[in-house]
Amino acid sequence: MAEKTINRELANVINVRLNRQLLYYIDICTRCGLCKDACHQYVATGDVTYLPAYRAELIRRVYKKYFTRTGRFMPSLIEGREPDDRLLDELYRTTYACTGCRRCMYYCPFSIDTTWLLGVAKAMLLEAGRGSPILTELAGAAVMKGENIDLFKDVILESLKDTEKEVQQITGDASAQIPVEKTGAQAMYVALAGTHTILPVAVIFHHARLDWTLSLFEAANYGYFLGDNKLAKTIADRIVDEAKRLQVTQIILSECGHAYRVMKFLYEAWAKEKLPFEVKGIVEVMHELVESGKIKLKKDSIAEAVTYHDPCQVGRNAGFYEEPRSLVKAVSRDYREMTPNREKNWCCGGGGGVVAEPAMDEFRLKTGMKKVEQIRATGARIVVSPCENCRLQLDGLNEKYNLNIKISSLMDLVADNLVAQK
Amino acid sequence: MAGVMVYVAIAVFLAGTAYKIYHWIRAPRSSVRLGMFPRPENSFGRGLKLIKDSIVFPQVLDNDRIMWFFVIMLHIVGLGTFIGHMRMLGEFAPLYNWLGKDGMDTLSYIGGGSAGLILLVAVLYLLFRRFKAPYRDISVPEDYLLLLLILLIIMLGDHLRFFAHFDVTDYQAYMKSLITFNPAFPAAIAESGARWVLASHVFTASLLAIYFPFSKLVHFIGSFAANLVRSD
Amino acid sequence: MTEEIKPDLEIDLKGLLCPLPMVRVSQNISKIPVGGVLKAVATDPGSLADIPSWARTTGNEVLRVDKGDKLYTFYVKRVK
Repeated sequence: MAEKTINRELANVINVRLNRQLLYYIDICTRCGLCKDACHQYVATGDVTYLPAYRAELIRRVYKKYFTRTGRFMPSLIEGREPDDRLLDELYRTTYACTGCRRCMYYCPFSIDTTWLLGVAKAMLLEAGRGSPILTELAGAAVMKGENIDLFKDVILESLKDTEKEVQQITGDASAQIPVEKTGAQAMYVALAGTHTILPVAVIFHHARLDWTLSLFEAANYGYFLGDNKLAKTIADRIVDEAKRLQVTQIILSECGHAYRVMKFLYEAWAKEKLPFEVKGIVEVMHELVESGKIKLKKDSIAEAVTYHDPCQVGRNAGFYEEPRSLVKAVSRDYREMTPNREKNWCCGGGGGVVAEPAMDEFRLKTGMKKVEQIRATGARIVVSPCENCRLQLDGLNEKYNLNIKISSLMDLVADNLVAQK
Repeated sequence: MAGVMVYVAIAVFLAGTAYKIYHWIRAPRSSVRLGMFPRPENSFGRGLKLIKDSIVFPQVLDNDRIMWFFVIMLHIVGLGTFIGHMRMLGEFAPLYNWLGKDGMDTLSYIGGGSAGLILLVAVLYLLFRRFKAPYRDISVPEDYLLLLLILLIIMLGDHLRFFAHFDVTDYQAYMKSLITFNPAFPAAIAESGARWVLASHVFTASLLAIYFPFSKLVHFIGSFAANLVRSD
Repeated sequence: MTEEIKPDLEIDLKGLLCPLPMVRVSQNISKIPVGGVLKAVATDPGSLADIPSWARTTGNEVLRVDKGDKLYTFYVKRVK
């Protein structure tokens, strides 16, 4: 096929995905460049190709060249570009680097959502057969697990038996359980692969006497990071179908930022259906359990200085600022706030699937500089963050920059500081 | 010549802007709520936030104070200048009755004059900023072209303000001729050497109006819509 | 009695959390020749489902999984 035709087809990927918001984003950016100070990747590298407006401009220039009058008649005026190899290479590098933190959207005077434009860029890359190989493999593995769950069920259940014993030891209750496939349970908890996301929650739920069941699947969704919405939906379908089958009234997602975003804000739009259950994050659930008195925390039990890192998908993109803080503050004697925080918090640099790309390790740790400065400034010894991606990155930063801190999940913090029930 | 240009400019501006808005509205709304947090509880709160975000630019203030100052200057003073030009359509009676002709002229000289200078500085700032990395690297010819065009309009306007010494009644006569579709400069302007300055001012302003709906200047309208998405 | 499998490369995934065990296996399998075997030792029970799923989706083969005390050893054969 002629190169021209291919390019046109690729450009058309933008056109078919156009909606009103995207049109605003394409039309109104003035290239003021104020987003430069918002992006941890630009700030840490000084490389203009990571400046949010620059990344978004790659998509804009292709769209304008093919679909606007200015672009058709005077492409040089807006520097219209074809989606050729050079552009796609640049797009690949800058798009899969984006952590999706949306800090640039916060600082944009027009609130242009660059990640949304980069979502279109990913669709274009996938159309050109240039999706991220590692994210494709991880997403593929998740789909494979969903299709062949009967093959894996036994090993999963077997490993859960060990975890269950630990729950019994910790709670001192030999009847404590990790229920699986329990039809009619009130809540289905969706953990991540790994006991560390199951054990503390099982302990908390046992204390709260919650009627729950554990999902056989993990919350993480690499199809979403890949930018393949169809694949992402298939991966999320595993959880949705399980929840429907078990007729639970709510699902509770583990401390996984993007998993919550996918289920809470994206799934219904993809599936064009309303979910018959409530979608909650473990952060808000733990907060509710404390507020309603179902679990009690040991007040001020941690003497070391503690700080809290707002994961972008828990804070800016989901609205949980005070709930996690109230839990952390309750158990800490010396709580210190990072600056800036909440909606202005710096991304740690680990979101968007970049932790899964070994080729990006060095870049990722370099772009965590702002977070390193923030943590150092607090002088805290413990950093709590309710997002697995953030914690993987914080672990990396801790090691590389000798921060000498302990990184804790919020689940562990709560589970370790429960007041025993009478 | 400049007369016909004005009609073309107004027609293209109105039709182009209307088409732009139609083009936006025609596209389906995103099925995903794109808003970020914290977000207002109700539509009243959303409205307030929209006004604040679109008019005060709090995010810019937080990020780059110098930029914020010049951007606010450009937009507020630019709007004030546009309103000031309305005097050419007719005197604003309450103010005129209070200040009288001389008072109005003085107000117009001080207000319009300082506005002209502020705009000049603000646009020059934005222009020079574009020559600096990393802004240079994200700029396209459109950005420079628009700034240069606006700069030219301002400089011509400032020339008229400080050196041409036309009376407001002359401008009003010219404006009237435009409205009655019989465009012509009144004698006082036609006989002055500065008539070319006025003609150029009108011409460049018309060019800007024509290019407006097809350029990034549609952020003038689109930013309100986009900022509403912030709290979606 | 299971027969001894001689790996071409051994990797240590102990302490690594999802998705890193899969990522490391994927990264290292390309370092061995087709037909070779990669031995990976993980502590994350999530890998019990993840690594075989990954192998199926990439067309590789998990020859054997040994389960010790919180220690899982995978023998993955590079098929293509």
